[in-house]
Amino acid sequence: MTPNLAMIQVSNPSRRGFRLWIPLFLLWIPAILLSPLILLALLVLLAACIAGQVSFFGALRTFWDILCSLPGTHVHVRADQSTVLVRIL
Amino acid sequence: MNENRRQILEMLAAGKITADEAERLIAALEPESTPSAREFDGMVGRLRGASVKSRAKYLRVLVEADEDMTGLKGPTTVNVRVPTQLLRAGVRLAALIPKQAHDQLDEALSKHGVPITLSQIKPENLEELIEHLEDLTVDVEGKGGNATKVRVFCE
Repeated sequence: MTPNLAMIQVSNPSRRGFRLWIPLFLLWIPAILLSPLILLALLVLLAACIAGQVSFFGALRTFWDILCSLPGTHVHVRADQSTVLVRIL
Repeated sequence: MNENRRQILEMLAAGKITADEAERLIAALEPESTPSAREFDGMVGRLRGASVKSRAKYLRVLVEADEDMTGLKGPTTVNVRVPTQLLRAGVRLAALIPKQAHDQLDEALSKHGVPITLSQIKPENLEELIEHLEDLTVDVEGKGGNATKVRVFCE
């Protein structure tokens, strides 16, 4: 499953922090609208794969696998009294 | 083919058990050592449990350092949880790197004191690594007795 939501939270005692929810599932709408450009990018990728002797479908599958395995990623860093939290759901 | 033998072969095909475990189960089905149906089910259950246990979902890295160590205000903590699926995909990504680039990378890594051959990192090696990473704790002592604790494990 592709990531649906991303959450970025930054907090600092001296500044006003913020929490940002990014609805990644909405990115499908511009992706569909920009599909001709994506097709063009795929053709460029195909040419690059042929030039680099890399499997085109292997590259696509790996890219898709990486995208689909992102949900569940959680990064929380606290340093110098500041906190940064990134979660992908 | 009887039902038990079929069940073993299906588990082997699905990757839930290893070839050795399948061989042990099939041997247990031989007439001279025929276990009862309950014993057989128990063995299958244990093997299934073992394979499920080794399938960790996340790699976790925790780092804790006190302010004397880092020189920053307050404690510094890093808590990273990465899905093991992402690691597997990353290993597959490494497999896409052309051979000539692999050689250059290996050379550059060994020059910087990291003697790793990227082409030897395969998904099956990663599975083995994850199995052994079930609970590994590394404590790094800082100067003046200050401690930075680094913990890497799978969950």
